[in-house]
Amino acid sequence: MSTLALPRTGSPALAVRLVANETRKGLQLLWRRRALTITFVVMHAITFLGFRLLIGGGHIVTPLLAATLPALLAFAVAQTAALQGSGGIAEEINGGTLGQTQLGPASPQLQVLGRLAALTAEGLGAAVLLGVVFILGYGVHYSYRPATLIPAVLTVADGLGYALLITAFTVRVVSIGAITHVFGMAIQFFGGVLVPVSVFPHAVETFTRFLPTTLGVQALNATLAGRSLWTGTLGWLVLHVGVSLALGATVYVRNIRRARREGGL
Amino acid sequence: MIVTSPHLVAEEELHRGRPASAAIEVAGLSKTYRSGLVAVNDVTLTVPPGTVLGLLGPNGAGKTTTIKMIAGLIVPTTGRIRLNGFDVARQRSQAVRQIGAVLEGSRNVYWPLSAWQNLLYFGRLKGLRGAEIKPRARQLLTDLDLWGRRDEPVGSYSRGMQQKVAIAAALITDPPIILLDEPTLGLDVEAGRTVKQWISMLAREQGKAVVLTTHQLEVAQQLSDRVAVIRQGRIIADLPTRELLARYAEDRVQVRIAGTLSGTGSLNGTGTLNGTGSLSGVVLPTGATAEADGETTRVTLSSTDTAELYGFLAQLATHGAPLVSVSQVQPDLEEIFVRLIHQEPAE
Repeated sequence: MSTLALPRTGSPALAVRLVANETRKGLQLLWRRRALTITFVVMHAITFLGFRLLIGGGHIVTPLLAATLPALLAFAVAQTAALQGSGGIAEEINGGTLGQTQLGPASPQLQVLGRLAALTAEGLGAAVLLGVVFILGYGVHYSYRPATLIPAVLTVADGLGYALLITAFTVRVVSIGAITHVFGMAIQFFGGVLVPVSVFPHAVETFTRFLPTTLGVQALNATLAGRSLWTGTLGWLVLHVGVSLALGATVYVRNIRRARREGGL
Repeated sequence: MIVTSPHLVAEEELHRGRPASAAIEVAGLSKTYRSGLVAVNDVTLTVPPGTVLGLLGPNGAGKTTTIKMIAGLIVPTTGRIRLNGFDVARQRSQAVRQIGAVLEGSRNVYWPLSAWQNLLYFGRLKGLRGAEIKPRARQLLTDLDLWGRRDEPVGSYSRGMQQKVAIAAALITDPPIILLDEPTLGLDVEAGRTVKQWISMLAREQGKAVVLTTHQLEVAQQLSDRVAVIRQGRIIADLPTRELLARYAEDRVQVRIAGTLSGTGSLNGTGTLNGTGSLSGVVLPTGATAEADGETTRVTLSSTDTAELYGFLAQLATHGAPLVSVSQVQPDLEEIFVRLIHQEPAE
């Protein structure tokens, strides 16, 4: 009998392939569920426009649109990734495929990396779509600089940390759909999508910084407006990103292990 | 045509050159959930390569928990599981790669994806490369009659086809151990027959160790080399199927004779058969019963007394009644299972 040998576990090349496999699957599933993402994008584009018209007394005030658009894009990344991540894992639990994915050498940490990569693509896809529509449609102009990329990347990472946390909770919490919805509303309102965060009273503004994406959007708006990146916000943003990603990954891994102990897979 | 493909062995084991004697070794396995429910209680099982073990039990007996513990999907409270020599608790990543599983009540594969995408995903999940998986995926899908629809979403398939995809996904890396939890549930006759043929072939021709749970006991009887019955988390019987059946063979003899009983009654008042042709007038021994069974008549003698049997056979010869068979009464697995489940637990 000939032998089909499995590669040694623990090799970096295998780890990369396992992460890529999860990412590939995530993207294939995204493509099958693209109608969901498109619906999300259209719905939030209409809501955003509606609020702009409401605030502008029936007119679009371009400077206000420009000030709130980065928040919308950050929200799109965070909420699309959270919804797809949470919905995807719920479907896997109910369908039994989450159990099947545990029958391989990939640790939950590696699998979460693959999932995160796919969620990034999903979130960015929605954000790019919205960005193109509003920037081209309303002639919004920003002063793009290489430094803009830093808060942009950190904001995306912050949103993904939130999405990962929601995905992780889905393994344990049955009513995660309602919780995600409430969080989504909070991020939309306090994250500067409807009105800039700067219009809130100081105490509320301070509170908003604990939410996903707010710090990132503040840093992003600062660089887009031509101000310096190296303000106090950046440090807090880096910390926020680190904590949210670490928290999301830790909760995910713990919940998968707990599901193994309690028969939840 | 059924695929015969290379045997999957972890590279570590190839290097070590230490083949495990039993594919599955389960010792003292117990699971108590946080609620206090004891789902599995001190289960010990051994499944050699090339063997189908039928794990039978009523709902809630602990079959699925046992299967999931073997697959590493539930952590046992106590006990040890070794898969081809790899300890599931301490060498999990190597151990789980020895398994292909079709789990009960679940889709097992991604319905939005195509059969082809699913097979590639599950092959890569175990660490194989696309180039290694594709020939086997093609062969499996061809053998299971799915090649023509390989690019369609699995969700659009019939139930039987979906189950075939789940089986193909479990076999994509050619694992030496197959765990099948209710694999024929909800399948029509043809799909069920295909699945049964595959299970038999996997063990007999490819030497795989198969653990099968099912409520369809005729399926278990047909396929299992060994049967383990689990009740309230405990194994109450674990025997080769033949031995289990032999143990429950009854002290009664059944004689099958060609010819049918008359439509209105099988026996007259004196224990004489009212039948067609040569059956008419045959006198039954005391305590014997007769019943029509299609084109034959089944007479059950109340004991294995050979004198009584020979006397009855001589009478049949005298009447010229054509004998079809003589056998000891043998309850089927379903009847034995029901008896086992309802018997008082041993102290």
